[in-house]
Amino acid sequence: MAAMLQPQIILLKEGTDTSQGKAQLVSNINACTAVADVVRTTLGPRGMDKLIHDDKGSVTISNDGATIMKLLDIVHPAAKILVDIAKSQDSEVGDGTTTVVLLAAEFLKEAKPFVEDGVHPQNLIRSYRTACYLAIEKIKELAVSIEGKSMEEKKSLLAKCAATTLSSKLIGGEKEFFAQMVVDAVISIGNDDRLNMIGIKKVPGGNMRDSFLVNGVAFKKTFSYAGFEQQPKKFLNPKILLLNIELELKSEKENAEIRLSDPSQYQSIVDAEWNIIYEKLDKCVQSGAKVVLSRLAIGDLATQYFADRDIFCAGRVAEEDLQRVAAATGGTVQTTVNNIIDEVLGTCEIFEEKQVGNERFNIFSGCPSGRTATIVLRGGADQFIEEAERSLHDAIMIVRRALKNSTVVAGGGAIDMEISRYLRQHARTIAGKSQLFINSYAKALEVIPRQLCDNAGFDATDVLNKLRQKHALPSGEGAAFGVDINTGGIADSFANFVWEPAVVKINAINAATEAACLVLSVDETVKNPKSESAQGEAAASALGGRGGGAAFRGRGRGRGMRRR
Amino acid sequence: MGFSMQPYGIQAMLKEGHKHLSGLDEAVLKNIDACKQLSTITRTSLGPNGMNKMVINHLDKLFVTNDAATIVNELEVQHPAAKILVLAGKAQQEEIGDGANLTISFAGELLQNAEELIRMGLHPSEIISGYSKGINKTIEILDELVEKGSETMDVRNKEQVISRMKAAVASKQFGQEDILSNLIADACMQVCPKNPANFNVDNVRVAKLVGGGLHDCTIVRGMVLKSDAVGTIKRVEKAKVAVFAGGVDTSATETKGTVLIHSAEQLENYAKTEEAKVEELIKAVADSGAKIIVSGAAVGEMALHFCERYKLMVLKISSKFELRRFCRTTGAVALLKLSQPNTDDLGYVDSISVEEIGGVRVTIVKNEEGGNSVCTVVLRGSTDSILDDLERAVDDGVNNYKAMCRDSRIIPGAAATEIELARRLKEFSFKETGLDQYAIAKFAESFEMVPKTLAENAGLNAMEIISSLYAEHASGNTKVGIDLDEGVCKDMSNLNIWDLYVTKFFALKYAADAACTVLRVDQIIMAKPAGGPKRDPPAGMDED
Repeated sequence: MAAMLQPQIILLKEGTDTSQGKAQLVSNINACTAVADVVRTTLGPRGMDKLIHDDKGSVTISNDGATIMKLLDIVHPAAKILVDIAKSQDSEVGDGTTTVVLLAAEFLKEAKPFVEDGVHPQNLIRSYRTACYLAIEKIKELAVSIEGKSMEEKKSLLAKCAATTLSSKLIGGEKEFFAQMVVDAVISIGNDDRLNMIGIKKVPGGNMRDSFLVNGVAFKKTFSYAGFEQQPKKFLNPKILLLNIELELKSEKENAEIRLSDPSQYQSIVDAEWNIIYEKLDKCVQSGAKVVLSRLAIGDLATQYFADRDIFCAGRVAEEDLQRVAAATGGTVQTTVNNIIDEVLGTCEIFEEKQVGNERFNIFSGCPSGRTATIVLRGGADQFIEEAERSLHDAIMIVRRALKNSTVVAGGGAIDMEISRYLRQHARTIAGKSQLFINSYAKALEVIPRQLCDNAGFDATDVLNKLRQKHALPSGEGAAFGVDINTGGIADSFANFVWEPAVVKINAINAATEAACLVLSVDETVKNPKSESAQGEAAASALGGRGGGAAFRGRGRGRGMRRR
Repeated sequence: MGFSMQPYGIQAMLKEGHKHLSGLDEAVLKNIDACKQLSTITRTSLGPNGMNKMVINHLDKLFVTNDAATIVNELEVQHPAAKILVLAGKAQQEEIGDGANLTISFAGELLQNAEELIRMGLHPSEIISGYSKGINKTIEILDELVEKGSETMDVRNKEQVISRMKAAVASKQFGQEDILSNLIADACMQVCPKNPANFNVDNVRVAKLVGGGLHDCTIVRGMVLKSDAVGTIKRVEKAKVAVFAGGVDTSATETKGTVLIHSAEQLENYAKTEEAKVEELIKAVADSGAKIIVSGAAVGEMALHFCERYKLMVLKISSKFELRRFCRTTGAVALLKLSQPNTDDLGYVDSISVEEIGGVRVTIVKNEEGGNSVCTVVLRGSTDSILDDLERAVDDGVNNYKAMCRDSRIIPGAAATEIELARRLKEFSFKETGLDQYAIAKFAESFEMVPKTLAENAGLNAMEIISSLYAEHASGNTKVGIDLDEGVCKDMSNLNIWDLYVTKFFALKYAADAACTVLRVDQIIMAKPAGGPKRDPPAGMDED
């Protein structure tokens, strides 16, 4: 009992996990490598896809590093950093998510033996940062600018970049087809590039080749009321009215109430309601518009009214589609039908309703301001189209970045090999420990070509050695050599049009280094117990405000609750 | 209550469930032990080569940081004595905004040395008096160590600012201090008012955007709002701004009301009048010359429609603080109700544009003209935790600027000051006659913690460094500290590593105060925590 009365020193709240020291660092590194192993095999054109079955039972098949990492639901705090960088790469450049995770893990893996040998992590961090800086400078130096080329030339160059990205995806077989489509889409939205101006619509059925690009807007036919059949389905140069009001018989305002003293007035009130809607409809017609779209419902009365006057209408159009139509046709969305001037009406060359698969689509093409494009994707299974959409998204992002920054580097591991060589060479000029660290950084970069070979079933060591030999040529003519995925040998990636925008590589190396440094710089993890509100009241009462360590029973119970 | 034990003494006096600890062993030493443990956690984060901590707080948010204030904040320290240290750290953070780690680590070291003294047989009160003398003497010496000619500085001279700020930023983001301190100095100087003492930390904002790297960080003279413009107009230049705090919408009554309609005409005209009213209001705003409407609350669809019609750009800023800063940036006066603004109430911006940075849509409000007092540092980094850490570094830098606006005196950094203090204090202790001589000597010894930790964190041989530092200082080179890059002792005035006098002053003072407070305690009585109805009976205390 006397011992019991002696309070132990409980500095932190019960249930707090702390771990410290070198072992902690090594375990963090191990966790990161384990995560990277999951996505490792998805890299490159011969990479495999992952099927992820989540707790809700939905199935995702993906090759996209960021998507996989997101779905993995990682809880390890250090490994979470890898998820973060994958996401950041996704938002910044859109592609290279697998690369960034792989690089970060490889940097850490190379650092591990040093840490185990007792090198202070800060030394490693400093060298890694220097190496990162050098690598980025080198990429900038090696990058080839596509600025100043004619539009046609630029387009074909961009298509090459898009094709490189797409080659590693599920739709790699049709990469030329899609690359062209993506480039056209991005070019058509012009300088004011807003990603949401490119719509991707998915229609199951048909095959990939049936996918097409609409230079304008396309969306699935909305729910329609009776009378819809009588409306014309094709217009040339129609005026388009975009609305944000309900064209339906309904109460005028929620907070309005009608009290009548005279029953004879009743009919006049009913008439008034009809008058209001007729007046609205009449104003729409007066405006001269031939196509009326509304974000809200267009009722059957309105549908029939329009049908009688050869006007096409669609209600409950999705907000983003309506915005795209507005941008494409040059109209503005109206919240009232009063005072509709010509200026707010949009127009396009052709409007038509078309059958795509078993869906009907409303298609606006040949738009004057042309700042939008829509890709209609066709394909077999739902998962397949989903993945195709993600792949196209990556490709679109790549083309946008390439257009903005307009420098490209050789892909297929060529640039990685070249930086690796450069860093090794640089390391030799450094005296001190830093030499070793930069060397290992250089070695880590080789993971990209190595993984490309592994995934394609080639002998990685053999290919790497060939590559190293080429890159080491003093004349520098081998600088663009990378893995040739078709023959299992090596080839000049640049000549083979395996191109990547330089910004992808720069960002990947930057993010991977930052993440690696962050993991290396941690020497202690403290995990506080979850907040009481999150744990329910029972656990709260067991935990709440207990200072000393005397409450043994309470503690045991508290733990039990936490492990739910 | 236990059946084998009758309550007696103090236990009989207090309500059951309390805890009561007293005596040297039970209270004082245990307290010291707890504080020591806390300081060991923060200690490895001290200095530029300090390691980061990964702290997962009770809300499952991950912090990766070496900012002591953040660490102890998220640690949820429970031990009452250790809490005193935490409070000291917080006080430092609030007073100066930097140096919290020094406070906690130094206090921990003082207590650790006190433990030795207690074991030697000194009474805590003697230690306290020794420590008090020690800190008073320290402050005297600290005054003498101030670099000559640093009393006056030009807070608008970038070079001087950076030289004072660099050490503080470096301790958070080593290797990136050049880029960061440059940015911070620029930002601070831009918003520095005529009287630098009125510098407001709140005027330097930080916008964190995931993606890119540190090299992409920039400064925006104005604000960066993490939201899109509401309407379709996304870019306006050189325009007047009207700010409405109450939202841009048809005014509705707070009280629930119902409109009574008596006749058909009234029903037909009901919607029309509302429409006309909104149009009139928006037109009034447009007529006043404003090109941009900023709303503090919802923007009604009808109002938005007319704003588009009159080609007004619409922004929504829902945070009250953000809205206030926006007013400061543009010089606008926030109007409560949608009405025609006076020309005086309108603000002015050079440009407002919506841009996409790293996949996020942000609205950048720029105002290069005078009168603008808000500046934003746009931070880029690949993960949220990196960004958070960068933000803390920026905060420290900005606080540092504030501190130097008040008191620009500097002292040599990189442990040079600490070693000098230790040396002189030791000399001082020999002249003391009482038992507190020992305490003062230990106080002096505690300063060695700083160079020792700096050296250890950098992977150097601590003992070797300290002895060579002492040797240098004894031979009169009072500005010699550790050069962490090369691992040798060098004159800090050549390397331009300076600490602010006020930071050190308060850090040491708070640390000594906290240490004395902990030492003064000889009895802990903890009342039974007030609990809800479902509490367990307090087990352990009187069972068995």
